[in-house]
Amino acid sequence: MRVTSNTFPHLLTGQLALLAQRQGQLQNQAATGQRIQNPEDDPTAMRRVLDLQTEAVGISQYRSNIQRLQEYSQVNYGVVRSIKGLVDRASEIATLADATRPQDELNIYANEIDQLLHQGLQYVNAQHRGDYLFSGTRSNTPPYTAVLDANGQVASIAYQGNDELASSEIAEGVTVTTMVLGENTTGTGPRGLISDPRSGADLFNHLISLRDNLRAGNRDAIANANLTELKQDEDNFLYHFGDIGAVQARLEAAESISRTRSQSVEVLVSRETDADLAQTLVRLSQTQNAYQAALQSGGTILNQSLLDYIR
Amino acid sequence: MLGLFGTLNMGARSLQTQQQGVEVAGHNLANVNNPAYARQRMQIQSSATVPDAVGPQGTGAENAAIMQVRSALVDRQLFGEISITGLLEAEQQAYQYAQANLGQQIDRTASGVEGAAAGSQNGLAEYLNGMFASWQSLSTNPTSSAERQVLLLKAQSLATQFNQVDQRLTNLRGALNDTVGSDVEKVNNLLSEIADLNQKITNTEHSSNGMANDLRDTRVARVEELSKLINIRATELNNGSINISIDGNLVVDEQDLLDTVTTYDDGTGRLFTRLQTGGTNLNLTGGTIAGAINARDGGVQALQDGLNNLASLLISEVNAIHQPGFSLTGSTGQPFFTGTNAGDIQISQTLLNDPSLVQVSNDASAVGNNRIALQIAQLANQPLGALSGQTFGQKYGQIVAALGQNLESVNDSLSNQKSVESIIRRQRDSISGVSLDEEMTDLLRFQRAYQASAKLISTVDEMLEIVMSLKR
Repeated sequence: MRVTSNTFPHLLTGQLALLAQRQGQLQNQAATGQRIQNPEDDPTAMRRVLDLQTEAVGISQYRSNIQRLQEYSQVNYGVVRSIKGLVDRASEIATLADATRPQDELNIYANEIDQLLHQGLQYVNAQHRGDYLFSGTRSNTPPYTAVLDANGQVASIAYQGNDELASSEIAEGVTVTTMVLGENTTGTGPRGLISDPRSGADLFNHLISLRDNLRAGNRDAIANANLTELKQDEDNFLYHFGDIGAVQARLEAAESISRTRSQSVEVLVSRETDADLAQTLVRLSQTQNAYQAALQSGGTILNQSLLDYIR
Repeated sequence: MLGLFGTLNMGARSLQTQQQGVEVAGHNLANVNNPAYARQRMQIQSSATVPDAVGPQGTGAENAAIMQVRSALVDRQLFGEISITGLLEAEQQAYQYAQANLGQQIDRTASGVEGAAAGSQNGLAEYLNGMFASWQSLSTNPTSSAERQVLLLKAQSLATQFNQVDQRLTNLRGALNDTVGSDVEKVNNLLSEIADLNQKITNTEHSSNGMANDLRDTRVARVEELSKLINIRATELNNGSINISIDGNLVVDEQDLLDTVTTYDDGTGRLFTRLQTGGTNLNLTGGTIAGAINARDGGVQALQDGLNNLASLLISEVNAIHQPGFSLTGSTGQPFFTGTNAGDIQISQTLLNDPSLVQVSNDASAVGNNRIALQIAQLANQPLGALSGQTFGQKYGQIVAALGQNLESVNDSLSNQKSVESIIRRQRDSISGVSLDEEMTDLLRFQRAYQASAKLISTVDEMLEIVMSLKR
């Protein structure tokens, strides 16, 4: 092939441009640590990364859902434990109120029970982040209201919530609720905390009945009916403790699964996008060497001319 | 015998011939860096013989013609390759713009959600994920006005990103359309220039022996420029003209410009090309015009359509769930998104004004109900029939990958094409290129011959002097 004056310069500029472009690419890979940045770099990997990224965001969102649910569950647990304390005290009083106690003492107990009722109302109407905890999904309404009699005693108590629970996703398609209903009289679905026909629990009415029996001195009724009723309430609380514990364990397990999954997604993304630094740097230095060689040889060839030899 | 005076004449002709040789070498040297230039060679031939007793006797040499060294075959190949390069370059540029407009990059150093795989913070994927995540958050806390505010913010970022990308892509397609128009103008200028050059070349060559070398160089440069814009077929005729046809239609016939190219709107605002007089629609397979049309109606259009589809479906799916829901105030029937496609997707202004009106509950009397939020959040993982069984995120990934594949394949083809073109260019350079070494050698050659011719003259002069002195 005939080589002309412009063959070398053209070849050299072409080669230098190519090498410079490669150097730029490799330098960028080394600096960012990434093999791909734009869709054109590797479209299929880009697509997989986008899918993985969606998954990662989803998992991270599930983790924050789980944290939120754990927080609610903790709050519920605290409140349920407080109310359980009331039942314990009421049972104690019911046991104490036997034939050996004078009516005066029973009256004092009755007053205490009334206080316990007030206290229980306060507990059960607790709010967290502005929401009532035990009204079902009617969370802007206090679950219980009390009607007081002329003496300021609790005459009756009414549930104002509903029997619906809101559940949240903790993994794809897996929903969990940490809500506890105040009352469910339908006989199906989640059990009520205060009142549920399946366990026979009806705490507030049972306390009212105990108070009234104390005041009336119906020791038999207390011993036969009220104690049994309170036992049922206590069992119901135990059921709920178990339930809350189970949900918490489930949340913890889900959180640990999410953490593992998020780590493995990270590994997958890294595999798709990250540059092998050792390989990149070796290739970069190879390209740099080639660039230098091209410059040097080109410089030598371009400098040689017949003009140097003829006068 | 020529006689002394005849020999003196021969010497003078020889001086002239060698001098012309130096001139041609000089012309070649001067044009060494002119890319359109083909080296020229002087054809020296021995001049007419005179009869003599010993047979025909030579009378020296004369310059027959100055020819350019050019291969019509290589030129024609190069025209074709330049067209393909032009096509691919135009497509590459358009797709690169589209890729930049989409703004979907992977940036692992950007902050991501705690330890999770991070992407760029400004691609549609992030906004889409962000919005669905906000619905999730809201579902865990349906009455929270903070969560509602965050949701609206994220959704608005998503809508704005859709709007911006759509606007940028519309602008890009508009710019590509404009390119078609302006390139067609250039094509017509070049066509008339080529017809003009054809006339000049035939005129020049008709009235003299040699070739109109430099006009031919200019014409090849013009045909190359034309090839970059549009794929043509160039046929060289015996009289030196080059005929140009586009898509099988003869447009330049010797010195006549038979037809020009014009653009027409197919009714959708997109410009295509056809012949001005003939009216034939042109089916172009090379050149920047075809590249711009391909990119405009191919990858860029597909990208925009894909995003529009995605946005429309997002609007209809989210609204279908949102509308029957109930807000914190018990109101219902409000859509979440307004608009119909990526260009005009917006968040309902009513909701933006009052976040409590976001309808999260499916029970008018229960604000803590989160069914609606949960359903919308679950849309993120729901394969939809309208997206061929893919989720929103997967469909978007597919759209991005499709653009990436377009660009990647154009990049690959272009890099192959460039090496093909450079091989042919090197071929042409090896045939037509000027070599300084050769020209310098020629220079020396002609210089020496010139010296020798001068010596001949001085020798004959001395001989004449001897002849004159005989008489004394």
